[in-house]
This record gives sequence, C-alpha cells and structure tokens, in this order.
Amino acid sequence: MKNKTSYAIAAGIAVIMIAFPAFLGAYPLNVARSVMTYMALAISWDMLLRSGQISFGIAGLFGLGSYASALAVLRGGMDPFLSIVFAAVFAGVMAYALGFVVLRLRSMYFSITTLALMEIFRIIIHNLHDFSGGPEGVVLPGVIFKGSASALYWLCLGGLFITIGASYYFEKSKMHLALTAIRNDETSARSNGVDIFKYLLIAFVVTSTLQGMMGAIQVQSYGFTMPDTAFDGNFTLLPLAMALLGGVHSTIGPMAGAVLLGVSAEWLKLQIPYGHLVVYGIIIIIVILFMPQGIVGMVRKASRTGRRSGRKAGASNE
Amino acid sequence: MSKLTTVGLTKAFSGLVAVNDVSFNMEEGEILGIIGPNGAGKTTFIHLVSGILMPTSGTITFKGQDITYAPAHQRSRMGIARTYQLIHPLENLKVIENVMVGAVFSKDMSLKAARLESERICAELELEGLERDTTQLSILEIKKMEIARALANEPEVLFLDEVMAGLNSDETKHLIATIQRIARERKLAVGVVEHVMGVIRELTQRVIVLEAGELIAEGPYGEVSKNPRVIEAYLGGAA
Ligand SMILES: Nc1ncnc2c1ncn2[C@@H]1O[C@H](COP(=O)(O)OP(=O)(O)OP(=O)(O)O)[C@@H](O)[C@H]1O
Ligand SMILES: [Mg+2]
Repeated sequence: MKNKTSYAIAAGIAVIMIAFPAFLGAYPLNVARSVMTYMALAISWDMLLRSGQISFGIAGLFGLGSYASALAVLRGGMDPFLSIVFAAVFAGVMAYALGFVVLRLRSMYFSITTLALMEIFRIIIHNLHDFSGGPEGVVLPGVIFKGSASALYWLCLGGLFITIGASYYFEKSKMHLALTAIRNDETSARSNGVDIFKYLLIAFVVTSTLQGMMGAIQVQSYGFTMPDTAFDGNFTLLPLAMALLGGVHSTIGPMAGAVLLGVSAEWLKLQIPYGHLVVYGIIIIIVILFMPQGIVGMVRKASRTGRRSGRKAGASNE
Repeated sequence: MSKLTTVGLTKAFSGLVAVNDVSFNMEEGEILGIIGPNGAGKTTFIHLVSGILMPTSGTITFKGQDITYAPAHQRSRMGIARTYQLIHPLENLKVIENVMVGAVFSKDMSLKAARLESERICAELELEGLERDTTQLSILEIKKMEIARALANEPEVLFLDEVMAGLNSDETKHLIATIQRIARERKLAVGVVEHVMGVIRELTQRVIVLEAGELIAEGPYGEVSKNPRVIEAYLGGAA
C-alpha cells in the first residue's frame, strides 16, 4: 500500500521531469542540468559511503570521464554519444585497477588517497600537452545533439535516472546488506561470508562509472573543457555537502540535498559571486554539528515521534 | 568423524606467544569446552580457526581440507561459524537483516529465501520482534541474534566465545538448553569458551584447557577439573 503510493509519486515526478523542456526556457533548463549533475554525483558518492568509505575523488573520476569522452571524439573520431558510454566504462576500468590499491586502505587513508589520485589525474592531463591539450584544454568540433537545449536536458536526465536506478538497486538488493555490514563491522561481516574486498570493489567501480558518465555528459554538453574545469574541486565538495545536508545512506537524502543546495546556490551566485561557496562551508558545519542525519533523517525521526505520540493520544481516548 | 583438526597451531604477537603449539580435533556433533585463565589464548585460538587471524605456524584442517590460510569469509561458507566475546551487532540493520547476512553471503541465498530461512532460525531460538532495531534488544536477545546469524551460515562447527557473559542464571539455563537442543538437532559440533565452570560442566562432553597459549589438559570436565596442572593454572591465575 505504502509502496504503491511511493512508486506512483516517483513515477509522477519522473514524468514531470521528462516534460520540463515543454514549459521551461533555456536558462532554467541549464540550471536544472547543473543541479541534476550534482545530484547524480551526490547519489554516487553516497552509494560508496554506505560501505563506510568516504571518497574525496569524485572530481577525479568526473574529470577522467570528461577527458576520456572528449579525447575519444577528438583523437579517435568516436561518435559523441558512444564516447559517453566509452568514458563511463573507462572510468570503471580505472577504478577496478586502482581499487586493488585504494580499497586496502580505510578511513582517513582511503579519503586522502582518493584526493591524491584526483590531483594525479589532473596533473597528468595538464602535462600531456600533445595528447590532452594541456592547461588550455580541448575544444570539441561541436556540442552533442547540435546543442538543442531539450536534448541536452534529456541526456543529463538520462544520466541521473541511471544513477538513481543503480542507487535504488544498491538499497534493495543484497548490496544493501553487504555494504551496511561492512560499514558497521567488518569483522562480523567477514565471519558471515561477506567477501569485503569484492563488495567494496563492486561499489567503487559502479560509483566511478557513474561519475565518469556524468563527466562525459558534461563535456559533450559544453563542447570544451580544461583541467581546472573538469577536475574542479567543487565536483567533490558540492555533492558531499548536498548528501550531508539531505541525509546520507539513502537515495532520497542526496536528492533532497541537491535540490535545496543546487537551486539556492544558483540564486546566490547571481547575488554574490562566490557567495555560494561560503554558504556551502557554513552548511557543512551546521549539518555536522546539529543534524548528522540530514533533512531526511530529521523528517523520519519527526514522523516516527509524531506517530508514537498519536498512538498514545489514541490510547488515552479509549 | 573428525571435523576440525589443528596441528602445532601457533600465533605470536611480536614476542608474546598467545597460542603455542596447540594440536586438537573436534568430532562431529560434540560439544567441546575451551577453558583457561584470562589471557590463556582461548579467543585467539578461535580467531585462528575462524580465519580472523592468520597463524604464525601450524596447520588447520577442516573435513580433510587444509584451510590454514583460507580467508574468514570462505571458512564461513565451508561451515565454520562463530560468535564474538564482545557483541558485534550490525546496528544499521534490523534484527532479521542481521540474521539474513549470514544466509545471503555464506549460502548464496536470495533475499527472499534468506528471510524465510532466518525467520525459521529465529523461531528455533525463540527470538521475536524481528523488525526491531538492534538497539532495542536485551542482552539475551542480542546473544540469540548473534547465534542465529551464525546458524544462518549453516555451519557444521560453531564456536561460542563467552556467550553466557552478562546473562542472569535463568537466562543462562535457558540458553544452555537451547544450545544443547540445536547442537543435537543439527548434528553441530560446538566449541564453547566459558569462565563459569557450572556451564562447562553442564554443557560439554569434553574440554581442552589452555594456559599461556599451551594446551595443558584434555578430557571430560570431571577428570580435567581434578588434574593438578589445571588446578595450579587456575590458582596461579588467581594469585
Ligand atoms: N591483537 C593482539 N596483539 C597483541 N597481543 C594480543 C592480541 N590479541 C590478544 N593478545 C594477547 O594474547 C593473549 C591471549 O589473549 P586472548 O584474548 O586469546 O585470551 P583469552 O583466553 O580469550 O582471555 P579472556 O578469558 O580474558 O577472554 C593475551 O595476553 C592478550 O593480551
Ligand atoms: Mg577471550
């Protein structure tokens, strides 16, 4: 009953989102694309967080995806749309290889290493002048789908839907048990048959693939990029803040956080240049101090206590 | 038939030899006591046979197969399960999900099958309220949940490390009866570590005694408790 209602609501929202280009102009569609990109990154970051691993490498895989896609088109003459698939797979394969090193690390060491990797990717691209275009970046022959605002919006929405689908699968399949068990207690997980490395590797590869895909979609939608744009630290910082604000360890939390922060940041950017970054910093601090469960967690708690006191009131009436 | 055998099993922690040259075997269906004073190496021994720690030397054989260096998750799939001296609930999973972890990953069950199987095991242990958070459980219920999770691995050998600690005497009696029933019904070999000798006397058919990592005596509790070396070890530990 409850499930059916939430499926209906989700389907309704999806339809409205697909229909957006029918009644929104180019600017709001542009803003929506930016919000959706951050949303997908926030969800993918959270998916790995469910295993307890805090990645600071989102921007690295996003940038890697951007460049893999751009260079496949520019140097390999690949079809732009195909290059997005290629870039996603490329990011996944890189994550698979790197996983054998970084997934042996835990907590701070894992986080710092993912951050360092992102920097290494950026420096390599920066210095491979002839192949990657160096610090000036690359310009593609054109924007995918001839730059049609609606088509670009749908492309980004497609990337977001894939991400939401993957996250939902992580929540509903045995991945949920594996990742939560690893997060809560690795020793207990191990003695109950959980192959910890295998499940961490799956999560790392899947989330990296998604991040690479979003990077590729981004570069094909703008038609150019450079190291400082593709590997911009904001692609790590903002998704992280969004997931924390919305509430971690779920799909809906990062989505709520992305809508709130994404839209308000867009507005703030117009008011004060760089003001949004200050706001992000403040939000992270407030969330960590006062609402570690995020907005979704607070709503859940409120509805639980609401139901409980409701039941009590009902009982006293009898 | 011998299920689990160790030969010369040794674990050294930079100088301190926690388990020293221990050779033992465990038969199908037997309830074996593992006793010894604090720091004797009982928990370390269980860590070694369950794969949580790797030995410094010696071998471990399970049903004729060498598993000395097999990773823990493989041993749980083969049929060696355990609980921990300190409780290890998975606090972000519901009670039923905690138990399901054992079935899903050790037995490659689908979520649906694992849920049914886990419900069955919990009923066997008289554990109810399976949709609760683990934080809402009493100590007895947590212990039962951890036993249920271990049983969901469908083990042939089960180690219980001080599972009675923190329980009152009624709860202890109840859990002793439960463990005996389950061991019998499942033809399970159980290794129990306990400090309360009453529990050991009632529950086990045979005990091994560890002292400073070494196996110093072996036999039925009635005999072993009269062994001068064992009495000495316990008195020495107390002094
Ligand atoms: N990881 C470790 N590193 C170093 N020393 C350890 C480690 N684990 C255990 N020890 C030491 O090994 C010895 C045996 O410890 P163990 O926990 O196996 O004893 P135990 O028989 O289970 O004791 P208790 O009855 O108190 O639970 C102790 O001296 C302990 O301090
Ligand atoms: Mg111990």
